[in-house]
Amino acid sequence: MSSFLSLINDKRVRDWIYQIAVVVFLVALTVFFVRNASENMVKAGIASGFDFLWRTSGIEVPFVLTGYTQADNILALFWVGVANTMLVTVIAIVLATALGFVVGIARLSSHWLLSTIAGAYIEFVRNIPLLFFVLFWYFGVIAALPAPRQSISLFGVAFLNNRGVTIPLPDGIENFRVAGLVILACALVFWAFSLWARRRRERTGQQAPTLVVGLALLVAVPLLMLAWATLATRWDVPVLRGFNYRGGFAVIPEFVALLAALVTYTAGFIAEIVRGGIQSVSHGQTEAGSALGLRSGQILRLVTIPQALRVMIPPMTSQYLNVLKNSSFGAAIAYPDVVSLFMGSALNNTGQAIEIIAMTLAVYLVIGLAVSAFMNWYNARIALVTR
Amino acid sequence: MNRTSALSLWRERLFGTPFTGFVTLALAFGIAWVAVPIIRWALIDATWSGTTRADCAPGGACWVFIRARFGQFMYGLYPVDQRWRVDLAGIAFVLGIAAVVFAPQRLKLRLGVFMLVLLPPLGIWLLSGGFGLAYVETREWGGLMLTLFISIYASLIAIPLGILFALGRQSQLRVIRLISVVFIEFWRGVPIIAVIFLASLLLPLILPGGIGIDRLARAVIGLGFVIAAYMAEAVRGGLQALPKGQREAATALGLNYWKATGLIILPQALRISLPAMTNEFIALIKNTTLVLVVSILDLLGIAQASLADPNWVGMNMEAYAFSGAIYWLICFALSRWSRSLENKRRL
Repeated sequence: MSSFLSLINDKRVRDWIYQIAVVVFLVALTVFFVRNASENMVKAGIASGFDFLWRTSGIEVPFVLTGYTQADNILALFWVGVANTMLVTVIAIVLATALGFVVGIARLSSHWLLSTIAGAYIEFVRNIPLLFFVLFWYFGVIAALPAPRQSISLFGVAFLNNRGVTIPLPDGIENFRVAGLVILACALVFWAFSLWARRRRERTGQQAPTLVVGLALLVAVPLLMLAWATLATRWDVPVLRGFNYRGGFAVIPEFVALLAALVTYTAGFIAEIVRGGIQSVSHGQTEAGSALGLRSGQILRLVTIPQALRVMIPPMTSQYLNVLKNSSFGAAIAYPDVVSLFMGSALNNTGQAIEIIAMTLAVYLVIGLAVSAFMNWYNARIALVTR
Repeated sequence: MNRTSALSLWRERLFGTPFTGFVTLALAFGIAWVAVPIIRWALIDATWSGTTRADCAPGGACWVFIRARFGQFMYGLYPVDQRWRVDLAGIAFVLGIAAVVFAPQRLKLRLGVFMLVLLPPLGIWLLSGGFGLAYVETREWGGLMLTLFISIYASLIAIPLGILFALGRQSQLRVIRLISVVFIEFWRGVPIIAVIFLASLLLPLILPGGIGIDRLARAVIGLGFVIAAYMAEAVRGGLQALPKGQREAATALGLNYWKATGLIILPQALRISLPAMTNEFIALIKNTTLVLVVSILDLLGIAQASLADPNWVGMNMEAYAFSGAIYWLICFALSRWSRSLENKRRL
């Protein structure tokens, strides 16, 4: 009896008892749910297992990047959805970051009117649901655009109308592949050059013209290469035939609306992150930089931005993951992303809710975990090294 | 500040240097280009009174539409003669909160717990009926009332669950910590729209056959679980901000884990995390709109559905402007409140 009491009074033993109790409870709950689910599924005549993935899908998708057709299997449909999700996410992240930086820096501007407008924009978009923007762009803006015959022409090569945007399509991507390789090579050369320049500076104190070389290798050469590739490629420019455009690549209105909504909404959040990041670098740092004889551009590049980035990276990562998750808002306007194609159409056709939901959630969880892992690694690399 | 100095301050601000002046003019031109058509549409050319679409002047906003549909925007398809019940529930809720806020300090906690036990069932009874009131099916609920209903009831699930998992994540017990981390990261990692689908498909599947679960309840439970994960992270911020000495001192006084947590840790931690929790509540209000995908019509859903009315074709902008303005007012007010809480703490 006394040994039992001393066992009960031992904190370690008690802790294990609590934990085992919680685990037993969770396992019991899971068993309960699984048993109900299998009973209910048998009653409703729903099959289980992943065999349905190899069945012919028969679902028509208006926006395909992977070469999928109706005759392909449901697994192919899944990848169409994943590709569409990734496409809108990546483009939205790039554009939202650009817009967010502009708005965030405008918010910090010493010009009163400019910073007020930026502040109004931020307060406007942050306090309205994203779904509102998605529906607004789709039913409010794009639906109100003119019909294809009266399209708004963008420099005579792309055409904006109520059926989306028709953009020119290159006949071949050979030239772009060459340009890409040259740009990659330039980046490698620049990386080697800056490494060499830093070594030399640390050894001899001599400065190398890193900025000029960087501008030449990372901006001028890529721009020239892209210009060459654009001009050297034959472009399939859309032409109005009858009631719609022929040729080119038709971007569906759902994509345009979802992208516009994601960019305008996320930019408001990124702007606040940018503002917070830059403001977090104390003024003393700038003063110390100028006391050391740095010019204002150097202070920005060597002192302010590296420290601001350190503050900005964790919230930026979560914003980027939000864009990934928020791309699923496209389901509300039937943009064929993974949620709307797989969790919507495929689930309706097969009825296998558990497998389909698990696969769809896995897409987001896998990408999310991969991005977080990369960002944690990057964050640790640039984190402040203290004694 | 006298007039001349105010004037010169503004002149300095807007036209201090030639470049500043140029930027000011360019921006002013841009604002005028965007704002003038909007103001003309919304105010000057707009029609305010009338009963049908024919009363509206073309080119301006037709606020007649909003006036005709105002009841629906607020209550959805809730029977007109029963709408007093919604109002009563709203008044009871506001009075309940006011009573707790203005009660003397020593009664606050007891009154708060009392309201927390009393109000939620009272609200459900008033809205759905039974015990002497006519039944109103949740299918008929909608509009702003439904937005607020879902937000409040989902946070009634989310806040306790979130606190529990935040404590679990900080726990010394390894298994509890692991379970909490998995729960939090799972729900934070998946899109809310998928969770609403998931709740509406899986909840009826995993419960014993024959237990029907209301479609609105499924959405509320789904949202409650996701928001719980976000709330847990908000609470964790508060828990981590507390110095370790607080718990150690509580333990030294002989308090056990739950007493130390309830009397020492949580009262301080929750006060610190209140702004972050308010921000999560704002996000919840915004995400409530996603119930649209399972055909539950909250404020935005009602606005969207009203576009299909053949008597009121082409009222897209009016419906969006009105519903957007309501969302903006609610969220903006809450975010200002949260910011003032944050500033108060910092001082």
